[in-house]
Order: sequence, then C-alpha cells, then structure tokens
Amino acid sequence: MGGAGGTLAPPFILMTSRANLYLGLVSLVLAFVVILVWVPLDTDTGLIEKVRRRVTIGDALAPTIAACFVALGGGLLVLAERNSADQSGLTTSNLRHVIWVLGLVALALLVMRWAGPLLTEDYRLLRATAPWKWLGFGLGGTILVTGLIAAIERRLTLRALVVGIAVTVALIVLFDLPFDDLLLPPNGDV
Amino acid sequence: MSVLDYILAGVAAVFAGPELAFLGLPATPVMILCGFLLGIVVGSTPGLAAPMAMAVSLPLLISAFGFNPDALLPVMGFLIGVMKGGTVGGAVPAILFNTPGTPDAYMTTLDGHPMTKAGQPGKALRIAHFSSASGDTFSDIVLILCAPFLAVLVEQYLDLPEKTALLLLSLAFIAAVIGGSVGKGLISTGLGLLAAYVGTGEDFYPRLSMGTEELSRGFPITTAVLGVLILGEVFKSLEDEWHRRGRDPVFKGVASAGDQRLTRSDLRRIAPFIGRSAAIGTAIGALPGVGSTLAATLGYTVGRARHAKRSPDATQFGEGAPEGIGATEAANSSVSGANLIPVLSLGIPGNAAAVFLILAAETIGGFNPGPSVFKFTDDPNPELIVAFGLFTAMMIANLLNWTIGGVFMRAMGVMVRIPKHMLLPCVLLLTLTAIYVQETRMEAIWMAVGFGFLGYFMRRVGMSPLPFVIAFILGGKLEETARQAFAATGGDAFFLFSSPTAILLMGLMAATIFFSLRRKSA
Repeated sequence: MGGAGGTLAPPFILMTSRANLYLGLVSLVLAFVVILVWVPLDTDTGLIEKVRRRVTIGDALAPTIAACFVALGGGLLVLAERNSADQSGLTTSNLRHVIWVLGLVALALLVMRWAGPLLTEDYRLLRATAPWKWLGFGLGGTILVTGLIAAIERRLTLRALVVGIAVTVALIVLFDLPFDDLLLPPNGDV
Repeated sequence: MSVLDYILAGVAAVFAGPELAFLGLPATPVMILCGFLLGIVVGSTPGLAAPMAMAVSLPLLISAFGFNPDALLPVMGFLIGVMKGGTVGGAVPAILFNTPGTPDAYMTTLDGHPMTKAGQPGKALRIAHFSSASGDTFSDIVLILCAPFLAVLVEQYLDLPEKTALLLLSLAFIAAVIGGSVGKGLISTGLGLLAAYVGTGEDFYPRLSMGTEELSRGFPITTAVLGVLILGEVFKSLEDEWHRRGRDPVFKGVASAGDQRLTRSDLRRIAPFIGRSAAIGTAIGALPGVGSTLAATLGYTVGRARHAKRSPDATQFGEGAPEGIGATEAANSSVSGANLIPVLSLGIPGNAAAVFLILAAETIGGFNPGPSVFKFTDDPNPELIVAFGLFTAMMIANLLNWTIGGVFMRAMGVMVRIPKHMLLPCVLLLTLTAIYVQETRMEAIWMAVGFGFLGYFMRRVGMSPLPFVIAFILGGKLEETARQAFAATGGDAFFLFSSPTAILLMGLMAATIFFSLRRKSA
C-alpha cells in the first residue's frame, strides 16, 4: 500500500512493518509540542479563566483537547496497533512525487500571480479589462495543466498543450464571462 | 402551522421559489435535473466523484443565486441531484469495463462485468439502475420519517452538557469506524479540530496565529475541506498515473446478444436481494462516517450467502448473477439518503457529500442543519420549510432517477475513455479556481495546496481524511456548546458527567473506541 504502485520496490522511509510505530511517535511528539509549547505561547487565555468572578472556558482548552485526540491516537498506534498486519508507509518515491508536483504547482501559481504585474506596470488598473485580466490565469493555468500532463507522459506533446489551453479558456468562460462579481486569480490580490 | 402546512409550504417553496430568468421556469426543479445529470456523468467517469463536482459547483451556484435564503433550495437541490446521480453513475464503467466509477461500485464489477462478457450489458445496467433507484428511494423515505422525530427527541431530551457529549461521541465514532485503524482515525480527528481552532477564540488575540496576519483569520473552510478531500485525492492519483506513465487501459467495444430488457421474472428474482440490501444500506448510512463501500460489501456478502443457500444450482455471485448486482447497488445507493439523517437531525455530517451540503448551508446562511430546525411553531419557521423543501427535492431527484436516469446512465459508457492523467490536472486547476473565486486571495490557494499535501500524506499512511474534515466542520460548534454547557452548569468542570444521559454518552464514546480497537486487532 505504501508505495505508489510502481514495479520496483522503492526504499521505505516509514518502513511498512514499523510505519504505525513511527507515525504514532511523530504524533505523540506533535501533540506534546502543541500542548506544552504552541498553546501556552500562542494563546492569551488559559484552560479556565476567571472573569469578574465568573469561571469560563479559556481559549487554550479547545486546542489542548484537539492535541489530546492526536496524543491518544498516537499512543494507540504505539501501544495497541504497532504490529497491525496492514501498515501503510511513506517511500522516497512518495517524497519525490511531492517535490515535483509541489514545484510545478508553485511555478504555475507564481506565474499566475506575477505575469500580469511583470508585463505591465499598469496591471492594477487593467485587472478588470479583457484580455489583461485573463493573462496571469491563462499562463499559469496552462503551465499547470500542460506541465502535469507532460510530466506524467514524460514528454511534452501538442495534445497536452491543447488540453492545457482549452481547459484554461473553458474555466475563463465558466467563471468570468457570466459572473461580474467573480474574480479569477490573481485579480483579487493585485 | 400544522405538520401538513409545513409539508405543503416546503413543496411550494420548491415549485414557487426563484425563477430562472432566461427559461421562465422555477429554478429548483431545473437545478435538481442539472445536478442529477451532472452526477451521473461524474459518477460514470473513473477518477471523478460526486463530492468533487459538488465542491467546484458551489461557488458558481452561489454567484448565480446570491447569498440569501431564496438561494438555499436551488443550490442544495443541485447538490442533492449531483449526490444522487453520482450513486447511479458509478455502476456504468463497473459493469461495462470492469472499472468501478466510484469505490462503492467495486462489488458491482464482480457480477456486472461477467454479465457484459456474456452479452448482457443492457440487462446488467437496467438491473443496476432499478436496484439503485429502489435503494435510494427507500432510504429517502426512512430519512423523511426518521430525521424529524430524532431531531425532536434530541431537542426535547438533550441539554447543553448532553449535546457536548453527543458531539464528542460522534467524533469518536467517526474516528473509530472510518478506515482500518482507530489510532489513525483519532489523529485525523485531532488534526481537524486543531486546524479549526487556529485564528479563532473569544480573546482579542486570535489563538495559534503565531502573530501572523494570514493565520489570524483562520483557515477558510473551503481551503481545508477542498484541500484535504479533493486536492489530496488528486495528488495521490497523479502519482499513480505517473507510475503508469499515463497509459490508460484499452477498453474494447461491448457486444450485446439476446433480450436486454428487464422482465417481471427478473424483478421477482432480484427483489428480495434489493429489499435486504436497502435495509442494510439504510441502517449503515444512518451512522455518521460509515460509508457506502461497507454497505455494498455487507449487502453483497449477505446476499451471496442467502443465494448460495436458497439457489445452489443457479448462477452464483461472482459469476454473473443479477442478484449480485441488485444486492450491491441497492446497498450502496441506500446510504445516500440515510446519511442525511445525522446531518438534518443532529447537524453532524456523515460523509463527504453531506459535508458539501453543510458547507452550502453555512455559506448561504438562513439554514443551520441540526435539531433546532424541526421546531413546529405556529408562526412559520423558515428553516423547517427549507427542510421540507429539501425532502421534496430528494423526491424529485428520485422521480428523475426512475424516469430518465436509466436512459441517461446507459449512454454514459463513453466517459470511461477520458484519459485519467489528463482529467486530473484539469480537476486540480478547476478546484484551485473554485477556491480562489470564493476567497479572492492567493494565500487561500497556497493554504489549499498545503491541505492537499496533508490529505495526500494521510492517504499514503492509510489515514482517512474524512474524520479530519468532519472534525474541522464540527470544531467550532463543539467548543461553543462546551462553553455554554460550562457556563450553564455554573463552571462545573465535570459537566460532561452531570447527568445520566451525559454519562451514558461518554460511556458509549469510551466503549466505541475500546471495542473498535479490539475488533480491528482481532
């Protein structure tokens, strides 16, 4: 399960036989960091507060209980489910996948955000005017869709480019043309 | 107003509500039809699912109908249509191409595809449609009869401490029964609660915001829900496609031989299996968090044992038995209506589709699913009228299912030919766009991508993301109820044990975790 379905067995980061144990330990550490560090340092009221002689629940209680759920789950994984038969783990292949997808998504979103302002200094004034308002979304969306298809197929094809452009245009038609109040990215930010 | 008045008002709200200007027709029935057809299309397309369609439709629907109570029925009617269409559509690729369109249609492949190979694809699809529509209708009737009574009971007998205990029990139940591990379910729930509490609270300083402007506003519900549920699934499927290098399986044409009609004797054969599975699916669907896949498996297993005992000489389950399709499709379809019982009576979403119905209600406003809806007052209670409007919408969707659903479904075999590796990037861009048009800030997209990778990691380590989403939605309500209960009991730290009912609910919570742990380790 842990792998991604490839034919070669990739090296495991969370070894399948011990995946539950490691996940449980990570969860316990996270829960204790939340309870002992994050919540006390980042909330202004405690678990229970006394305001004008009335006792009320403070802002720290709910996240502490949330962390208790995480700790309880982690504890159960370590103590009761560490030897479960079906343990899914993470592989280096999974992490490689995360890195390339994240890289491509980040590139597309950065193009989407900055293409317009970089191409013209007056983008802020033009962001409600066609075709400028579609520039960032069009470029970034095409890069995202075409890039992902090309990465999966291991080559850039005309079909991937056509699909990328067609989908982006279709979304512009779907979201922007009929609705004046909807803003395509990045026109709400610039 | 009497109960009958409310029912009539609900029906009238559907047919006399806002009109579609360009058609001059009442909006709600048209939207139910559109949603239903879209649901069949996405259900028939491997790689797509009804919740995805519901997620990306929501901002468009809200833009079209606005943020006012009049928008509730057209928008939620559309979503109900998608939900129902999706349950029917999943059987199409399962029967024709041995590829389940939705996870709960896997068992349908076991008998549906052998029937296709034997030259009876039309009959197999007709059996699937009849069984699905029967299970769905039965489940809706149970919902309409049970939800109001359950809500009235909850409102009458449960006070604030008991309601807090009930929310905790629901979260523990969902954590314990979804997926294969109680521990992972609890971690998923805890993370969902934690995410819900970032940037919120009663103090001037938004808690857990690390002093940043971005976190001080909290995580928008759309970023967390769509990120973990939709983007997480897209990222995982992209990886699977990457390993397959985008080579989709080749689907051969389907050949038919002989009479493809559904005869009276066919119906007599499958009726007992449909009835049993509809009851099983409805009972399972009424429990929050227990999905249609389990219902399908149970319905199939019970039906198989019965069939082997009663008709040892007939075609057995797994070899192309029509009874197998009936048992599976009736079970998985009967979950959808019953899953709304906890939503409407308790305000607790039981599955991904219910999550989007709650999301729609919260976004539009004017309708807060929960026990307070079912107050039969002398003055018109608008929320109760909406509730009966929703019941009417479900019945209209059922009517559509019985009339045009089968024909439309049988035409959807072509959807399996859409290359999944091209579809997934499109779904990704569509989801990111849907998030942006609701939040109109790029940081919401970045947050959604972050939640998407969280959802990806959860799936990879075998942790269900559904408890996360449900906990995220219920987190605020849990804290608010607990604060009120604490104040109402005069600051009693043990308010969760202040009455026999509360003690019983807390005991059930502990027992749920304990017995789930024992069952899964056995």
